[in-house]
Amino acid sequence: MREITYLEAIREAMLEEMERDESVFVLGEDVGAYGGAFQATKGLYEKFGEARVLDTPIAESCIVGVAIGAALVGYRPIAEMQFADFISCGFDQIVNQAATLRYRTGGRVAVPLVIRAPSGGGVHGGLYHSQNPEAWFVHRPGLKVVAPATPYDAKGLLKASIRDNNPVIYFEHKGLYRRAKGPVSDEDYSVPIGKAEVKREGTDLTLVTYSAMLFPCLAAAETMDKEGVEVEVIDLRSLAPLDWEVVFQSVRKTSKLLIVHEDNRTCGVGAEIAARVAEEAFDDLDGPVMRVTYPDTHHPFSPPLEEFCLPNEEKIVEALRRLAAY
Amino acid sequence: MEVKIVVPHMGESIVEGTILKWLKRPGDRVERDESVVEIGSDKIDVEVPAPARGTLKEILAQEGATVAVGNAVALLEAEDAAPARPKVEVPPEPVAAEEGEAKQGEIPPRGRRRITPVVAKLAERHGVDLDQIEGTGLGGRVTKKDVLPYLEGRRPTQEAPEPKRKEETLPTPTPPAAVPSEEEPVEVIPVTAMRKAIAEHLVRSKQTAPHVTTVAEVDMTRLVNFREKHKAEFERQEGISLTYMPFFVMACIRTLKEFPFLNASMEEERILLKRYYHIGVAVALEEGLVVPVIRHADRLDIRGLAHAIHDLAERARTKKLASDDLKGGTFSITNPGALGAVLSTPIINYPQAAILGVEAIRKTPVVRDDQIAIRHMMYLCLSYDHRIVDGATAVQFNQRVRRILENPLELIL
Amino acid sequence: MSPMKRQPLDKEDLLRMLYYLKLVRAFEERLSILHRQGKVLGGIFSGIGQEAIVVGTCYGLRPEDYICPLHRDLGAFLVKGVEPKHLIAQIFGKRDGLSRGKDSYLHSGVPELGIFGSTSMLGSNLPVACGIAYGFKLRGHDHVVLGYFGEGAASMGDTHEAMNFAGIHKLPVLFLCENNLYAYSVPVEKQMAILDVADRAAAYGFPGTTCYGNDLLAVFHATGQAVERARRGEGPTLIEFKTYRWHGHSEHDKAFYRSEEELLEWKSRDPIPQFERYLREKKILNEENLGEIVRRVEREIEAAVAFAEENPYPEPESALEDLYA
Repeated sequence: MREITYLEAIREAMLEEMERDESVFVLGEDVGAYGGAFQATKGLYEKFGEARVLDTPIAESCIVGVAIGAALVGYRPIAEMQFADFISCGFDQIVNQAATLRYRTGGRVAVPLVIRAPSGGGVHGGLYHSQNPEAWFVHRPGLKVVAPATPYDAKGLLKASIRDNNPVIYFEHKGLYRRAKGPVSDEDYSVPIGKAEVKREGTDLTLVTYSAMLFPCLAAAETMDKEGVEVEVIDLRSLAPLDWEVVFQSVRKTSKLLIVHEDNRTCGVGAEIAARVAEEAFDDLDGPVMRVTYPDTHHPFSPPLEEFCLPNEEKIVEALRRLAAY
Repeated sequence: MEVKIVVPHMGESIVEGTILKWLKRPGDRVERDESVVEIGSDKIDVEVPAPARGTLKEILAQEGATVAVGNAVALLEAEDAAPARPKVEVPPEPVAAEEGEAKQGEIPPRGRRRITPVVAKLAERHGVDLDQIEGTGLGGRVTKKDVLPYLEGRRPTQEAPEPKRKEETLPTPTPPAAVPSEEEPVEVIPVTAMRKAIAEHLVRSKQTAPHVTTVAEVDMTRLVNFREKHKAEFERQEGISLTYMPFFVMACIRTLKEFPFLNASMEEERILLKRYYHIGVAVALEEGLVVPVIRHADRLDIRGLAHAIHDLAERARTKKLASDDLKGGTFSITNPGALGAVLSTPIINYPQAAILGVEAIRKTPVVRDDQIAIRHMMYLCLSYDHRIVDGATAVQFNQRVRRILENPLELIL
Repeated sequence: MSPMKRQPLDKEDLLRMLYYLKLVRAFEERLSILHRQGKVLGGIFSGIGQEAIVVGTCYGLRPEDYICPLHRDLGAFLVKGVEPKHLIAQIFGKRDGLSRGKDSYLHSGVPELGIFGSTSMLGSNLPVACGIAYGFKLRGHDHVVLGYFGEGAASMGDTHEAMNFAGIHKLPVLFLCENNLYAYSVPVEKQMAILDVADRAAAYGFPGTTCYGNDLLAVFHATGQAVERARRGEGPTLIEFKTYRWHGHSEHDKAFYRSEEELLEWKSRDPIPQFERYLREKKILNEENLGEIVRRVEREIEAAVAFAEENPYPEPESALEDLYA
């Protein structure tokens, strides 16, 4: 298997799907000749032309609305939000239009739409280039939400999202674009939406996470291993639908659960996991369900301030130690 | 004073830059803000200005070199007339993560003992008096990990215990102590940690899983000839020798997909069928047998498997295996045949469901079309956990592996 | 029949258009009564007085052409081919309604007939209209999309984003503004600083024109020209229809913000008698065929209401279905 970066994986997925299926096209700001603000769509314009790699005006609501309209007449659009932060400008079209179309037509239409959104902090982006807005959309019925961490999963999940007949919001962590490198298969493969993966097996403690936080979690698990605590690390990969079976199986085995995510604490995805585990696996718990998350504040620009807020390996190890000792 | 010239931040996801062109040489005088070097990334190229007035002292990275963002590419001897930029004090990282959590972790001392749901469930189900158990949790709390070994100690055979890392009470029968004397000398060998761990593992496996071994006889002639034909070229191309093990691994994976219950484990009242294939390949070391694992072995082809096996064996022999390498296996293969064994009854690598022993390949007279022929024959000895796998399934599994090995072209599909 | 070409409409077309006018009017009046009888829950947004627009714009479209109507364009559904019985069942929230009970009134649309149902966020239908049009353009089809909006919806960001996008790409979209002078209670002077919404088209690079919305044939021909323009690939057009609604914003609204005089004046411009007069002058309409049309409309509406009243509600658990494909 070849090793490529997370960004290359995303690009390859789009390239291959566009080759495979004429109805797939890309739209967004700067995606065409420029190749995308992060170069995610580099090369696509030259290969597929400007009708299928469309540079749009600065109008997120219109971008999403146009994508929905095209999806209704047989296309599979991939709409790019330049930063996940700007998804709020298209919020109405996503949550009131795309998310409800199948429902309000009594199941007669499908909206095969992908919205790609570069999310995540730790890149000196400040308030509007660092957000993790996934929870808003996990909350809204009618949408699917995914957030891969590795290049293998990034490529596979994007393919699955493009092939899915529902609106899928694909959160790609911008900090991983060039930092995450990993193997991808040369075959045409996809990673199913709604399936988590146990990235590291263990018997003493379950650690559930997703996206960029996977890496400090794995490092923390390695540290704990040397201290005699085996941590099972689960990479959710999909947030809606979420692979509850894998989570519950692991919690039944270890009886201790720590959830780690980069999104804010209150009403983040971790809150839902904690609530559901407490509701449905109460009798399997040997300790409180804990979370390591970003605090309830914004992403300040000044580096020491953001550092203070971001979850990292140390904070995760500390929480793991506390939970293991409980 | 010396000042560093560093690779600037060039975009949210850029982690490194390449030196395109030095605009100044060591010894040159530079003004503050004067461009010193051109650095490029795949997004943009920037001219980096000097942070202070002074003399370029030393270039640390030449044109064409790639340097991480934030790292120094040159040193500047700054004139003190320009005030040096104040160093930014990074406050020490707080040890406590968030407020809420500090409260959760501590158990305030209370009159009553804290009992968690899972401990309560186990206590009730097995009629355990928790006061009899010493608690190792916070504040002396009795944890699940305290209860389980206690249960095991009480009822040593029927429970399905969790694989433990620490020492615990496993009932091991002790032989009558031998009293050494001149006539009957006895040499005492202390048991190493590794041997102890292996011993415990084996005992647990045998005591938990009812072992049955079924044997199939394989005509390896085709595969032997194939290997003969290709092994020299393979070694030239790959730098490692071509053994039979990659073929065994691949044949097993193929068959495991058809017989998922052999790629499983049992847990209380459930059988977990693993839909991934981490195949353990046993390596004999002086101190004992280790079984390092090839993860996602189904994603590798013959060459890939050959390399993976070679690499793990090397690392096992040079003691460079990481703990990860030994964990997570879903099925194991052992090779007593390498040392000449003809038949064996291998012990399952708990908590897996089965282990396949491949035996020696020998030229043997056999009957083919009512005539005697000489063929390369080998036994496949499959030990399986009879709780999870029934006899017919195990036999069919073994036969399927046999058929694949006898028709190696099937591995292409 | 190719009524969208610039040929005189034949007798059949004209009588058919009258039938639609009568059907829409009767349907809306019946709805109003049902509502006052307490048989209809939820919002009813009467288009009585504006029938010439829904009939004149939709008549003669191809089945593949798409319309994206708003809440006051119930008549467009009927002209585009929705059976009255399904529309009434929809309004009652019954099982055989268009959205099988999931959404109210016109929100579901009818994808099979090329009707895109809007959400309640006005103007949000217009970027979708552009997306449909873009899809047509990519495939090289010459179908068109009609995007409806009121002078109130003209203030929403989505309306402007859509017009901008359509102008850039010369999309085959018609932006059809029904200016009935009031957005709920807010009069047009408080909605915009200009007199004619049509003026805005120039800002987005395509032609805009006003049209008297109560003259059926004027509406028909203005639309026809814009449709032909779009089919030829020349891009979007904005047509602003000047018109008036007789009822309040919804049946709950007494519309005290309008004067009695104003209402009476517009009632005297009722599009239906105007058209009937025209047809009589042309010796196309007589008592006999008018009578046929009226009776036919009555029958259809009665049957539709009976159907809807007998139709069961969907299963309550179905509230959880149809979220995902």
